[in-house]
Amino acid sequence: MNTYLQAGVSGVMIGGLYGVMALGLSLTWGLLKVINLAHFALILGSAYVTYQLTTSTGVDPLVSVLVVTPGMFAVGVAVHWVIERFHVDELSSLLLSFGLFIVAIQLINNIWSADFRQIEAAENPYATRAVFIGDIAFPVPQLMALGTALVFAAVGFYVLRRTYFGKALRAIAYDREIAGAYGVDHRRIGMLTAGLASALAAVAGVLIGINQAVFPQLALEWVGLIFTVVILGGIGNLLGAVAAGILIGLVSSQVGVAWTPLGAPVVVFSLLILALLFRPNGLFGRLGE
Amino acid sequence: MQRQSLKRRDRRPAVVLAVLLGLVAAIGAAQSTPAAVPRGDPIVVGSTLSLTGAFGATGVIHKAAGEAFVQWINETGGLLGRPVEWKVLNDESDPAKVAALYERLISQDRVDLIMGPYATPNIVAAQAVAQRHGYVLPNHTAVLTYALTYPCQFPTWSAGGKPNLSVPQTVFRLLKSQKTPPKRVAFVTNTGGSTNFISYGPPGSSEGGAVEWARKAGFEVVLDLKYPPAVSDWGSIAAQVRAAEPDFVWNSGLALDPVNLLQAMQQLGYRPPQFLTLFPAPGPLLGMGDTSNGVLSLTLFEPNGKLLKRMGKKAQEIVAEFAKAAAANGLAYRVFDSQATASWTAWEVLVAGVRGAGSLDQEKICDYLLENGTDTTFVGKLRFNPALHNFSRPRNLVKQIQDRRWKVVWPPALRVTTLQEPD
Repeated sequence: MNTYLQAGVSGVMIGGLYGVMALGLSLTWGLLKVINLAHFALILGSAYVTYQLTTSTGVDPLVSVLVVTPGMFAVGVAVHWVIERFHVDELSSLLLSFGLFIVAIQLINNIWSADFRQIEAAENPYATRAVFIGDIAFPVPQLMALGTALVFAAVGFYVLRRTYFGKALRAIAYDREIAGAYGVDHRRIGMLTAGLASALAAVAGVLIGINQAVFPQLALEWVGLIFTVVILGGIGNLLGAVAAGILIGLVSSQVGVAWTPLGAPVVVFSLLILALLFRPNGLFGRLGE
Repeated sequence: MQRQSLKRRDRRPAVVLAVLLGLVAAIGAAQSTPAAVPRGDPIVVGSTLSLTGAFGATGVIHKAAGEAFVQWINETGGLLGRPVEWKVLNDESDPAKVAALYERLISQDRVDLIMGPYATPNIVAAQAVAQRHGYVLPNHTAVLTYALTYPCQFPTWSAGGKPNLSVPQTVFRLLKSQKTPPKRVAFVTNTGGSTNFISYGPPGSSEGGAVEWARKAGFEVVLDLKYPPAVSDWGSIAAQVRAAEPDFVWNSGLALDPVNLLQAMQQLGYRPPQFLTLFPAPGPLLGMGDTSNGVLSLTLFEPNGKLLKRMGKKAQEIVAEFAKAAAANGLAYRVFDSQATASWTAWEVLVAGVRGAGSLDQEKICDYLLENGTDTTFVGKLRFNPALHNFSRPRNLVKQIQDRRWKVVWPPALRVTTLQEPD
């Protein structure tokens, strides 16, 4: 019983990390109609910068948030400027960002080589730490990821529902031209949103850099899983993305204990197929539903 | 009589002088005559390596080792008096690309010789092309021995023709040599080809692998868990290992698997008494500090002080040159260990074949190697056994992390320190 409980806790918390990784992707896809594959390269790039800053300067790896977040915000704004400038539609954005993704992975490969990079234990006070309640361990890196996911999703939900920026953004998502007729500047709001989504990728990257070794190929391992999280959560639904991340983490862990870890991908992707057939707008509905 | 002795006495200065002159000449020759400079058109060796993609992290090690070898051979007279040039292409870890690129190297670029790519699936893909064109294929990292059927492929990964039997034999012998051998063993296996093979044996065969042989050797197998090549949640695997309460964890894992598993177990506040992993990325494991202390793994060679010193100056120079090449290739871990050893040895096999044949004739090279084998710098004499797909007799060294360094602890004849047993 304890094994199921511990595995469940691990699954929920790793699900928080999936949630953080999915938030920015869900935001741009649901609200800007941009399917941004380059999001994964931004996460990976941020993880590498975290590694580099920590190993070169010896600073706490969390400090790198101060560098990568504004940096990735600027990258997100620049990419969105290109998308706006050339009137790239939703499908083309997938192809364009795929190209950017490949270029970014190769650049990372050229800078850091294909070798594994990991912040050494002496410089990383978080990697092996955990908080215990009884026998149940709550690993610190995943705990940070879960907390971050919940806070960002809640703030995002509030901003989208209660602020002018959020309302304007939703209006753009429904009908850009009508929103424009009411004085909403879709370019400015779009760029700000793309920047925020990339900043979220940066935060996810820092959390990854703290939690594990990185290598260029790692980004490819995320694509299927995180797209599943976004689709199950409902595209553009930030709370839904985090909830779907947690659900997938929990289901994977329980399947791994009750059956075999080999069965986890089978169950998770079967869930995706079922959701697409019976709940095409995701388990928690798209933005605005 | 007196005359004779005088005669002898008279000769002494001349003999001494001659010996001295000889010595001076020999020392002078050794110091001043450089190795003959290779001349003529270069001998082109073609190969692919996975410089990006899933095998990229290890592929780069083989690039560094190959570059160091080519530099070394050109500085020491070349091959058949000619310089050697290495044409290496990036196969992006894709066996389909491997086959196409070897076809190009042989048919279009008309390279003189070929060297195998990195990792079993790629080697198997290259093997088909090499066989079609009759090229000799030395290769450094083939573990799925049953898939290497071409008579002129020459593997240097020395776990023997049946690593599913030889690896567990070595490990269990080591375990049983301890004051208190473990009783309860947990197996945690990556279902990727090589690791799965060592845990369970070849498909469709009754040979079995480490899991079955552990039972036969009298160990209680308390967990036999398989996981897919890409895992995100190591926490649930770690929880199952902890619950099984093993004395010894055997992780048939690759690259970062042991790092992730050890970290997840540490996060649960759990540390198994002993932990072995098969094919780890050695650098990141060392970077874990105390968490990985005592971890065991297998190796072909480690440049440990005593072992390296025993091998002589040439080996020491190679290790140093490799470190430079590794730095130039952006590698974080620059130690000449298993992968680099296998690579260097494969190049030595190729060169020995050409020198033995006295030409670039592929058939003669193949025949020479099959008949004579070759001496190597780091793994001794290699004899290629056609009955075991040209794999040599096993040479499994066990290494352990002690004081943040990998040290050879088994077999007794080659170890540099004793095994650190659990408390």
